[in-house]
Amino acid sequence: MWTLIQREILTNLMTFRFFVAVVACVALVLATTVVLTNDYARRLANYNAAVTKHSQRNFSAKTYSYQSLWLDRAPNPLSIFSQGLDKRAANTLKLARGRVPHLWEDNYFSTDYDNPFRHLLAELDIVAIFQLLLSLLALVFAYDAIAGEREAGTLRLMLANPVSRGTILFSKYVGAMVCLLLPFLLSFLLALLCQMLIGVIQWTVDDYLRIGGIFATSLVYVSTFYLIGLLISSATRHAATSLILSVFVWIVFTLIYPNVSLFMVNRLIKTEEKVEQANRKIEQLWEHFHRERKKQHNPLEGRNPLVHSSGWHGTDAGKNCTYIAPEFEPQIPAVKAYYQSVVTRRIQTAEKTWRERKQVLADTYIRKSNIARNALRFSPAGLYQLTTEAWAGTGLRGVEDFFTHMRHYRQTVLNYFDDKKAFSSRQWFASDRGEVRWDDMPRCSYRRPRAVENATQALPDLLLLVVLNPLLFLATFLIFIKKEM
Amino acid sequence: MTWHLIKRELFEQLSSLRFCLATLLTVGLMVVNAIGYIDAHRTQQTDYRQKTTAALQEMERRCDTLYNLVISGPGQLYKKPSNLSFCAAGSEDKLPDAAAGRGAGWGMGPKINGVVYSTSGLWRMDYNIQPPLTGKDIFPTFLKIDWVLILTVVFSCLALVFTFDAISGEIESGTLRLTLSNAVPRRTLLTAKFLSAFVSLSLLFFIGALMNLLLLYLSGTLQLTTEECSRIAGIFVVVPIYLSVFIALGLLVSSRANSAAPSLVILLLLWTIWVILIPAALGNIVSGLNPAQSRRDSSRRHIVKNQTRERYLARGLLAAAPSRTHPPTSATQLWAEFLNEDRHAAERSNRELLQTQIREIQRAQNVNRISPTAIAQSALEALAGTGFQRHLQFLKNVDNYGKQFNDFLLDTDRADLDSLHVPFVREGMSDKPVTFASIPKFEDKTRLEDAFSVAMQEGMLLLLFFLVLFVAAHVSFQNRDI
Repeated sequence: MWTLIQREILTNLMTFRFFVAVVACVALVLATTVVLTNDYARRLANYNAAVTKHSQRNFSAKTYSYQSLWLDRAPNPLSIFSQGLDKRAANTLKLARGRVPHLWEDNYFSTDYDNPFRHLLAELDIVAIFQLLLSLLALVFAYDAIAGEREAGTLRLMLANPVSRGTILFSKYVGAMVCLLLPFLLSFLLALLCQMLIGVIQWTVDDYLRIGGIFATSLVYVSTFYLIGLLISSATRHAATSLILSVFVWIVFTLIYPNVSLFMVNRLIKTEEKVEQANRKIEQLWEHFHRERKKQHNPLEGRNPLVHSSGWHGTDAGKNCTYIAPEFEPQIPAVKAYYQSVVTRRIQTAEKTWRERKQVLADTYIRKSNIARNALRFSPAGLYQLTTEAWAGTGLRGVEDFFTHMRHYRQTVLNYFDDKKAFSSRQWFASDRGEVRWDDMPRCSYRRPRAVENATQALPDLLLLVVLNPLLFLATFLIFIKKEM
Repeated sequence: MTWHLIKRELFEQLSSLRFCLATLLTVGLMVVNAIGYIDAHRTQQTDYRQKTTAALQEMERRCDTLYNLVISGPGQLYKKPSNLSFCAAGSEDKLPDAAAGRGAGWGMGPKINGVVYSTSGLWRMDYNIQPPLTGKDIFPTFLKIDWVLILTVVFSCLALVFTFDAISGEIESGTLRLTLSNAVPRRTLLTAKFLSAFVSLSLLFFIGALMNLLLLYLSGTLQLTTEECSRIAGIFVVVPIYLSVFIALGLLVSSRANSAAPSLVILLLLWTIWVILIPAALGNIVSGLNPAQSRRDSSRRHIVKNQTRERYLARGLLAAAPSRTHPPTSATQLWAEFLNEDRHAAERSNRELLQTQIREIQRAQNVNRISPTAIAQSALEALAGTGFQRHLQFLKNVDNYGKQFNDFLLDTDRADLDSLHVPFVREGMSDKPVTFASIPKFEDKTRLEDAFSVAMQEGMLLLLFFLVLFVAAHVSFQNRDI
C-alpha cells in the first residue's frame, strides 16, 4: 500500500495542476490576508476610539436619569477567516431604560462602513477562497484517478497484481489528500505568519483552538470534494466525461445551489406583515404608557423657570436640576414618587415590548435565517461555510451572544439602580446636593464565548461533513467493485 | 464546405450530454429567476410611490413660508427602481435608495435683541444615506439569480465546457488528422467550431431569456415600454460578445493541449480565477490597500466651519442682528454672506466626500475590468438601469434638482415686492407662504443614451478581448503540429 501511496503522491506532485494549485492558493490567500488584516486594524482602531470616547461619556452624568450608556462591540479577529455577520451587525449600541437591546433595533449604529458604496465590493474571506478553490482542486485531482487509469489501461495492469480494490482506492485517496494538503497548509501557515508580522492581532489560546477547528473543517471539506470526484471518476469510462460531470457537480454545489436556495428562501418567506403587526402592537403599548404617564402629575412640569435645570424639559427621560428653590422643597417627595412610578412603568413597558418583539423576531427573521441555513446544509460548501462561521463565532449565534450579554448587563444596571433606590432619589433629577458617584456601578465586560462553546456549535455540522466522507468512500468502493469485477 | 462543417459541429454539440445538462441548468435558473421576481417589481414600485408621496406631503407641510423651505430643503429624494432588475439586480439593495436635501440642524447661535440665530441653518444635500441593507440583516449573503449571474458565471463556464475538446479532443481521438487530410483549411475548421459553439450557446441563452420574459409576462409582472424593449435588445447584443470571449479562450487552450482533460483543467483554473475570484477579490484588495478618506477621518470640515465662523465674528457678526429695514442694513448683508459661505463650504465638503467615495469604487471597478465578467456585468447593469452607473446618474439628477430648487427659492423671493431680496437670511427674504404646486418636484429620469453609451464602451472592450483571444487561437492552431 505504501508503494501505491508513494506512487500517487509522486504522480500528483509532478503535475502542472499541483503547481497551479500551490501558486493560486498561496497568492490569493496572502493577498486577502493582508487586506483583511489591515481592514481589521482599521476596525479595531475605530473600536478603541469609540471605547475611549464612550468610557468618558458613560460615567460623566451628574444625575441618575441623565446617564446614557454607550457600549461597543469589538471586531472579531477570526472574521479574517470567516466574516459571517461580524462586519454587518451593528457594533455600537445605547443602553436605555426604555429599550431592551437586540440585533434589529434602529438606534444601533454600525461604524464599520464609512463609504456606503463599499457594500458593492464583494469581500472574500480566507474560508471563501478555500471553499471555491480547494473544492475545485480536489475535483481536478480526482477526475482521472480511476477513469484516467481505466482509459489508459493501467488500471487493469494494477489489478493484475495482488492488490485489493479497497487498497487502490485508499492509496489514491491518501496520495491525493497529501498533495492537496500541501498548498492548503502552506497558504494557511503563510496567512497566519503574515498576520503575526503585521502584528495587529493578539491570538489567545482559545483563538488557536478555533483556528485549529477551521483547519480541521477545511480538511474534511477538501476530503469530501475529493471523494465526490473519486466517485464520479470510478463511475465513468473516460477522464473527460468524469471532468465534465465533476465541473457540473462543483458548479451546482458551490455556486448554484447555495445561491438559488438562499434566493428562493429570501423571496418566498415573507416577514414584513408579521413585523408590521408587532410594531403596531408595540406602538400601542407605548401609547398606553404615555397616556398613563400623562394622567400622573409631575409637580415640576411647566415650572422649570423656577428651577435651574438642563435636560429634556417636560419629559421624565433625563433631567439635571442644579438648583431647586426652597419653596419647592415640600413638593420633592411627590416628585420622587412620580419618577419612581413613571420610570418603573417605563421599564415594565420596555420588557413587555421586548417579549412581543422577541416572539416575532423568532417567527420572522430568525426563522427565515434558520430555514436558509438549513437549506445550505444540503451542499457540502454550505455546510463548510456554516461550520467555519460557528468556529469563528461570526455566525448569527456569535453576534447574538453580544446582544444577550448586553441584555443581562442592562438588567444588572437596573438592579443596581434599584438597590440604590435611584428612581425615587433626589439624585434622579437633581444634583443640587451632590452629583452621583459611579464608582461602584458594575462595568460592562464582554468577552467572546469560549472555544468550547464554538466547538459545540460547530460540531453538528462538522459531524455531518465527516459522516459524508465514509459514505462517499463506501459508494465509490461499491461502484469500483461493480465496474471492475 | 464551411457550412457542412458548421452543421456537423452544431449537430454534435446539440446531441451531446453537456448540451442536455446546459439546457437543464438554463431552464432551471431562468424559472428560478422568474419565480423570484414575480411581483417584485410591483412591490418595488408601490414602495417607491409610497415613499415619494410621503416625502411630498412632508414638503407640503413645510411650505408655510419661503424661509421654512430655505432651512429644511426639499426633503428625501428617492431613486426610481428599474423595471429590469430581473436582468441585472445590480446590488441595488446595497446602494443608498435616496439622497436627502435637508436642514443642517439648528446650531443654537447668538441671541441678538432677543432673537436666537442659527449659524448653520440652510438646507444642504446629503448623499451619504446608508443603504437599506444595514446591520439588521442577518440573512446569509448570496448572489441574486439574475441574467447577469446566469450569463457571467454559468454560460461562461458552459462556453469552456463546449470548447475544451474542440481541438484537443479531436487530436486525442485522431479525427483531426482525418479532417485535415481533406481540403479543409485550418482557419475554416476553427471558425466552424467557433460558430457551432457560438450558435448553440447563444440560442440556449436566448431561448432561456425569452422563456423567462414570457413567464414574467404571463404572471402579470412585466409590462415593457419601448425604451425597456430597446434595453433588452441591447442586452441581447452584449450576451453573444461575452460568450465569444470564452469560446475563443476555450479554443485557444484546446488548440495548445494534447488531450481533452488537461485542456479542461487549465480552462477551469483560468475560469475560477478570471470569472469568480478576480471580480470578487481584486477590486476589494486594491481598494483595501489604499482606502479612501472616510467621513470620520475628515475633521477638515469642522475646521473650515470654525474658521468661517471666527472670521465673521471678527467682522462683527454679533454686533447687530439682521432686520427687515429697507434698504438692507450692513448687518443683514453680513449675515447673508456668512450663511451663504457656510452653506457653500458644507456643500463643497459633502461633494468632496462623495467624489472620494465614488473614486474609491471606480478605482476598484476599473481594476476588476481585467476580467470580462466585470465588464459584462457593468454593461448589463447599465442597460438594465441598475448598479453603480445608474446610481451615479441618480446623484447627477439629485444635483441638478438641488440647483433647480435653489433657483426656485430665489425666483419666488424676487417675485415678492416686499422682500429685501437678500438670500438666504430670514429677514432678507420673503415671509409669504409658498404654493406647493409651484415648487419643482424631483423626477429621477434615466436616459437611454447614457445606458447605451456605457454598454457600447464595455461592449467594445469585450470585443477587444474576443479579437485578441480569437486571433491567438487561430495563430496557435495554425502553428500546431498535428
